[in-house]
Amino acid sequence: MTVLEASGIRKHFGGVVALDGANLTCRQGRITGLLGANGSGKSTMSKIITGVYSADAGEIRYNGKAVRYRSPTEAKRDGIAMVFQNLSLVADLTVWQNIVLGAEQARGLFLDNKAAIQRSREIVDQLLPGLDVRRMVHELNPGEMQIVETAKAISEEPRLLILDEPTAALEQAQVKSLFQTMRKLVKKGVAIVFTSHRLWEVMEICDDVVIFRNGRNVADLDFSKDVKDPEAIVSHITGEAGKVKLERARRVEQTEVVLRVSNLNYGGRIRDVSFELKRGEILGIGGLAGQGQHELMLALAGNYSGVSGDFELNGKKIKLNRPANAIRNSILLVPGDRQLEGLFLGHSVLTNLIFPKLGLKSQPLFTPESRYRRESGKIVDVLSIVTPNLDMPVNALSGGNQQKVVVGKWLTFDTNVLLLADPAKGVDVGAKRDLYEYITSEVSKNKMSVILYASDNEELIEHCDRLLIMYEGQIVATLVGEEINDDAIVATSMRVR
Amino acid sequence: MNDRRSFLKRLISNPDFSRLLILILMFALTAVLQRNFFSGRSIVRNIDSFTPLILMTMGQAVVIISGGLDLSVGTALSLMTCVLTSVMKEGVPITGLYALIAAFAVAMAIGMVNGIGIGYLRIPPVIVTFATSFIWLGIALFLRPTPGGETVDWFQAFYRIRNIETAPAVLKAFGETVPPSLILVLIGFLIWWVVSRTRTGRYIYAVGGNSQSAYETGINTAWVQMKACMINSAFIFLAALFFVGQNRSGDARMGDPLTLKAIAAAVVGGIALTGGRGSLYYALIGALIFSFVSKIIFFANIPNAYQTFFGGLIVIIAIAASQLYTLSSRRAGRESKLT
Repeated sequence: MTVLEASGIRKHFGGVVALDGANLTCRQGRITGLLGANGSGKSTMSKIITGVYSADAGEIRYNGKAVRYRSPTEAKRDGIAMVFQNLSLVADLTVWQNIVLGAEQARGLFLDNKAAIQRSREIVDQLLPGLDVRRMVHELNPGEMQIVETAKAISEEPRLLILDEPTAALEQAQVKSLFQTMRKLVKKGVAIVFTSHRLWEVMEICDDVVIFRNGRNVADLDFSKDVKDPEAIVSHITGEAGKVKLERARRVEQTEVVLRVSNLNYGGRIRDVSFELKRGEILGIGGLAGQGQHELMLALAGNYSGVSGDFELNGKKIKLNRPANAIRNSILLVPGDRQLEGLFLGHSVLTNLIFPKLGLKSQPLFTPESRYRRESGKIVDVLSIVTPNLDMPVNALSGGNQQKVVVGKWLTFDTNVLLLADPAKGVDVGAKRDLYEYITSEVSKNKMSVILYASDNEELIEHCDRLLIMYEGQIVATLVGEEINDDAIVATSMRVR
Repeated sequence: MNDRRSFLKRLISNPDFSRLLILILMFALTAVLQRNFFSGRSIVRNIDSFTPLILMTMGQAVVIISGGLDLSVGTALSLMTCVLTSVMKEGVPITGLYALIAAFAVAMAIGMVNGIGIGYLRIPPVIVTFATSFIWLGIALFLRPTPGGETVDWFQAFYRIRNIETAPAVLKAFGETVPPSLILVLIGFLIWWVVSRTRTGRYIYAVGGNSQSAYETGINTAWVQMKACMINSAFIFLAALFFVGQNRSGDARMGDPLTLKAIAAAVVGGIALTGGRGSLYYALIGALIFSFVSKIIFFANIPNAYQTFFGGLIVIIAIAASQLYTLSSRRAGRESKLT
């Protein structure tokens, strides 16, 4: 029996089309796998069903009735529960308080805590035996939090349960017990939507699979009839476009090591990462989103005082436990979230461009305004930053030009290593090309080296000489030269190969 | 259940233990410096002088836990004293009851206005309450441009029962053993004891801890914040009763210094300004530490000119000490987990 039928769903955010006529059908007692690359519209679909977003067009029928929820609370009232990717627990409450939050039962005037603890314990014991429900949520590790999150959704006894990457933070054994619980729920007639980037999980647990690409359905598989072919699913996810070979001259492999990182560890999010960066090389960091790439970039830029591991720059041991250390060694970061980490938004282009210099020791007492103006003017020319003048506040510039300012503030430094964290995020095509053209030319001219993390695989394919694939904080594959193609990236990212 | 050693260990590793230690230290210092500290009379006097700050800190703590901050508590207190003394007519006992009702209505209105600003209009709490503090002040000055006003005789029941000539001897004796100020504080705790066992109490923590999650769980976060503001107003109301009982007059400016004191005391007690963490027992501890500090400065014969300076210094030391203690015990906990 069909529980939910979403058809022709469209949704756009600003100019970006997230869903372009996508469909999703869920049936009673079946687990529907929802697959697709980052940004293919999976989460948007889930959020539209549960009323977090409203669709621009399309129809959702739930138990045969057309519905249009305005909030997750409304959806919940109808028996639709969702586990969100971003954890939604209250850290300062206990596990059981979180599980019953919003659904507290009272006995007389006061809350019935005993019954609530009992009920929470029953659900948690299925998922993770031994987790004390009286512990505070902020004491739990990410995997345990994820499980509590799932327990909270299950406690609502939904008829449709949407699990958006519930296994992302879980270990193998925890995944197994989650699957057991899911099977139990399915037997009771619950319909489940399950998204995951791990293909083997989808193969194991799902009855149906729906694959999205660029906001559209590209495949609807029924595992009771269709064959389970992981390679076929990967090619559905990436699409034919990925197969087109991108032309690019790979640089001759250099041998001189600029930066050697060994056994880098940071709080479980970066685990035993070792690699060498060669002079004049663009080294890519890839993989699924949130596998520790962002943390690795920040660690190399000296943002974490608690890192362990050895760093050698040009054969000399260095410390990278403060941003100032990294900058002094000319390891410079262009952060991913430029608005949050890279710029003083309300301040002028000039201020932003000269700011890193102000922290250096050799500065005169009074800021040499006119010299800085001259230097900044040059940077604006070199990067072709489109701005009427140097005193324009940066938030008045377009995204691409803002990003150029972030790169530009390091330009007067002799760069050893440039760390680029998703430099083209939200940047239009032209500005993206300018930016990479500039970086590529600097790399071959100045002999600096670049570590590039991009969420878009095409950027990595186009620009990297070598590519490290990260998974759960570790480097799981190294692709060199011609091996860098979309299929290989997706397959190694999802650990198919 | 547990043997004594593990209980002791748990007590010491508890970060709140440091505040208790500081409180005990302050208590001991005061006891040494103040002659007759343990005599019945000075105990009552001390409780009397601590009561307003304790009540104000408890109210403020509720708002802070819910994720807000109230800068209008001082002038709200002043306004309530002005309302009480304006409604009462000396020698007409029934007007005391009218005054109680009127002032309580004003208290709830104050909580509602702050709650609408913080919860429904989503204006940053500091801004809302800074603005409303001037509104309360304005109304208070309108009611009572200069300190004064009339009270009924029985209103002294909130301060000294024996001062009421018509009170029966039993009540007078009772008031001497259990001072009314202590009863007011106990009423405050009773309010919180009830609230913290209902949905509202749980939701105050949830909204302060993570209002987005709370909202997504279906909690009406604005209504919860408004209720927190109204509970705060109830505490301020209790403080106002004490003040009017004590001074027998209203004053539009008397509450001003209490605003920041109450916030500081809450922080000293260990209530996180980020919301969601702490309890009203912490508020009590914070308010007591704060009160003892001023006692110590007073009895240590520190010249008047330096009293404010040392008061601030001691508060900073108290906060820093408990912060350091928390950090070091957390580090020790982590290391013991590893080995």
